[in-house]
Amino acid sequence: MRRIIGIVLAVLLIGGVGAAVVAGREQDTSTATKTVRGVIGSEKAEFFSDPDVVKALSAKGFTVKTETAGSWAMEDLDLKGYDFAFPSSKAPADALAEKYRARQPLPRPFYSPLVVVAHRVAASVLAANGLATLDGGGGRGTLKMAEYLKAAEQDRTWQRLKGAERYAELTGAVYITSTDPLSSNSGALYLAAASYVAAGDRVAANSADVGRTAPLMRKLIGVQGAQQPSSDAAFRDFISGAGNPLVLVYEQQVASLLAQGQQVDDLTVLYPDTTTTSDHTVVPLTAEGRALGELLSSDPKLRALAARHGFRPQGDTGEFTAATAAHTTYLNQKLTGFHQAPVPASAVLHEMARRARG
Amino acid sequence: MRLRRRVRPRVGAGALTVAAVLLGSGCTSSAETEDPGAPRPGTLRVLASSELVDMEPVLDQVEERTGIKIRPTYMGTLDAVSLLAKNTTDGRYDALWLSSNDYLHLRPDAARKVVSETPVMTSPVAIGVKTTTVRRLGWKPQEVTWSQVEQAVRDGRLTYGMTDPARSNSGFSALISVASGLSGAQSALTEADVAKATPRLKEFFKGQKLTSGSSGWLAAAYGRRGTVDALINYESMLTPMKDLTVIRPRDGVVTADYPLTSLAATGQDTRDTVRRVADALRTPEIQDEITRSTFRRPVVTSVPPSDALDTGRRRELPFPGSRSVADGLLDSYENKLRRPSRTVYVLDTSGSMEGDRIERLKAALADLTGDFRDREEVTLMPFGSDVKSVRTHVVDPADPRAGLDAIRGDTDALSADGDTAIFTSLQKAYGHLGTGPDTFTSIVLMTDGENTAGAKASEFDDFYQGLPAAQREIPVFPILFGDSDRDELEHIAELTGGRLFDAQKGSLDGAFEEIRGYQ
Repeated sequence: MRRIIGIVLAVLLIGGVGAAVVAGREQDTSTATKTVRGVIGSEKAEFFSDPDVVKALSAKGFTVKTETAGSWAMEDLDLKGYDFAFPSSKAPADALAEKYRARQPLPRPFYSPLVVVAHRVAASVLAANGLATLDGGGGRGTLKMAEYLKAAEQDRTWQRLKGAERYAELTGAVYITSTDPLSSNSGALYLAAASYVAAGDRVAANSADVGRTAPLMRKLIGVQGAQQPSSDAAFRDFISGAGNPLVLVYEQQVASLLAQGQQVDDLTVLYPDTTTTSDHTVVPLTAEGRALGELLSSDPKLRALAARHGFRPQGDTGEFTAATAAHTTYLNQKLTGFHQAPVPASAVLHEMARRARG
Repeated sequence: MRLRRRVRPRVGAGALTVAAVLLGSGCTSSAETEDPGAPRPGTLRVLASSELVDMEPVLDQVEERTGIKIRPTYMGTLDAVSLLAKNTTDGRYDALWLSSNDYLHLRPDAARKVVSETPVMTSPVAIGVKTTTVRRLGWKPQEVTWSQVEQAVRDGRLTYGMTDPARSNSGFSALISVASGLSGAQSALTEADVAKATPRLKEFFKGQKLTSGSSGWLAAAYGRRGTVDALINYESMLTPMKDLTVIRPRDGVVTADYPLTSLAATGQDTRDTVRRVADALRTPEIQDEITRSTFRRPVVTSVPPSDALDTGRRRELPFPGSRSVADGLLDSYENKLRRPSRTVYVLDTSGSMEGDRIERLKAALADLTGDFRDREEVTLMPFGSDVKSVRTHVVDPADPRAGLDAIRGDTDALSADGDTAIFTSLQKAYGHLGTGPDTFTSIVLMTDGENTAGAKASEFDDFYQGLPAAQREIPVFPILFGDSDRDELEHIAELTGGRLFDAQKGSLDGAFEEIRGYQ
């Protein structure tokens, strides 16, 4: 039986080569590109559909077809026929790499810290009550994570914050809206940062650690009710004027809007004083997938385009600083003084998310 | 909490055909026989929430830009989620476009069937109150809370219509808003919040005078009735209505965000097509068209919402995070909170029903019986040359089984003989109902043929016009079955403010089930 399959395969391969030769001859004059398919986190969809990105990739011989899925949901998808997966952080990427035996190190072309977006009045009320500080014009500021967690623990409501009474939308429990930590990366990273702060700046290493912060994590998730599956959806609701006053998004989502010249007058970007960063990591499933991942990391043109979409390219900070020069009212380019919470190992983070969802 | 009869939105082919009737009243018989589920290149078969029918002009523009044609099949949100969970959508639909995926995410069996979700526009569920009523109540629209609405209902100064929360997302969102508002919950609803709010919710729902399986029919019934003061519906549906003041209660709203959703059971190319449509829908030009023509709110910052929409912000009330809370709330709405329903089933058991047809009727009724709610009054009125018997049963919350068993017994005893006296039987149904207690009252008419005995159509028209106003509010929901005459039944639906359901193309139990949303 195996021999027969071998013969059939050989015939198919020869046929394939023949076809390739013919096709190659026909395409002599045009630029032939390889089509690579990938599953990506929703926040990178606009990057890949940007005509300039399509052009830059095509110049390097790639046509990239993508579809979006939550970073953790990628594990449940059948990735046969895809060349790469591009989740929003290292933990789900490592899990996928193991499942599909992708060779380490994985290309990590760019990253973006998690931030909280708020409308100006909500940010001012937080600042007036010691939960945040605002810089300059109030377009950006710092969220004091420890204070915020204390408020959450005590079920503090907006009504009990001074200055909130003038605004109809500022009622109910004070909480940050995140995505579902079981399926989406930003939700899981939120728990990573919150649990790190709650445990006195210690990263959870095992079930016992998870157990210690579990009641608070459960509260942070439980108050939200149903959660959006992706950070894009949560951000869209926010933009349309619907949704909770405080929404966790990637800095990149805001930076990208600003780069497009969109008006965000009334917005404040709050950088948590201890935050987590999403390392957008390519999991190559084929050689083409790996080549694409490496190209995204090294090609100056693509790095500049990534920065224009709000991502921070790995290594040199020049591209991001240049791309966001006009938007420092909202964006904190340097992030000096901000702490980065380490992300627990994949299995630990999963358990944390599961217990938080209850 | 007792979940004896879990609310289970079931959908048979009936739902599909009703949608088809709604859409293509002018379509030819050849189009009707074509399988609407068959795939066609360059088109996307989309299972969509019924109110999205107003997006068709926008979708034409999307087609111009992308070359992709959207073929929607309209259905209530919760029904669509059930369908998805049961694999019934596989191979029949390329994408999902519901008011909200919140309920979908509470059901793992449905949630695992979707791949990517792209919110396209938003609309909060609001209450539209007649401008004269707003004045009479002395309300400042910006200041009104759900508690004030409840107070007005309690004082007998406000009545309203809303869709059935077990079928329609607008009704469900309204239920969540009101439960949050009246329980004082500061975060996502819990079972304790619902229990606490129950007495006030009961008062609130005494004011609900209209129910509907779809928001379109609700608006029509509201216009016809004329005596209802308000409608709870999407802001987008209320905004263009005349003489209504749209109020987004100050204590919070639940907002639909219309995610265009691709499905795991489809291929990569299909999902790619879905993404292209989503991209097109989010371009500034289309977003602008959406907000100007449908009064939904844009999801891109460069496009301001329509001038007709108030830009003041509202708290977003969280959707329950667990299925037990969501289903518990639905269950108490159906069995405790809402006004009970009172229905006469006028059932054709004439000679032509002999054999397969009567068996199908019995099976459909047996199936339906499991769905009757606590406190519901059901009258079976089988007819042939005249009404054969009138049997009324009430589902007593203390012993629901007794009533249900009695209905089953009567159903079993049905037998086929005689002519078809449709109009005489309808007159008797109105007579039976009289001006009864405060309920959602309606008549379901199932017939497999034309009127052959008793009163004529014109006599029934006169009879109906001579009824007292309160009785004229009782709608007849006719079911097209066997060889019944579409025009004759359409006329009855129109005259009485009901709606025609089609069990010729769909199934009889599907039609009975669909009508539940209107009872």
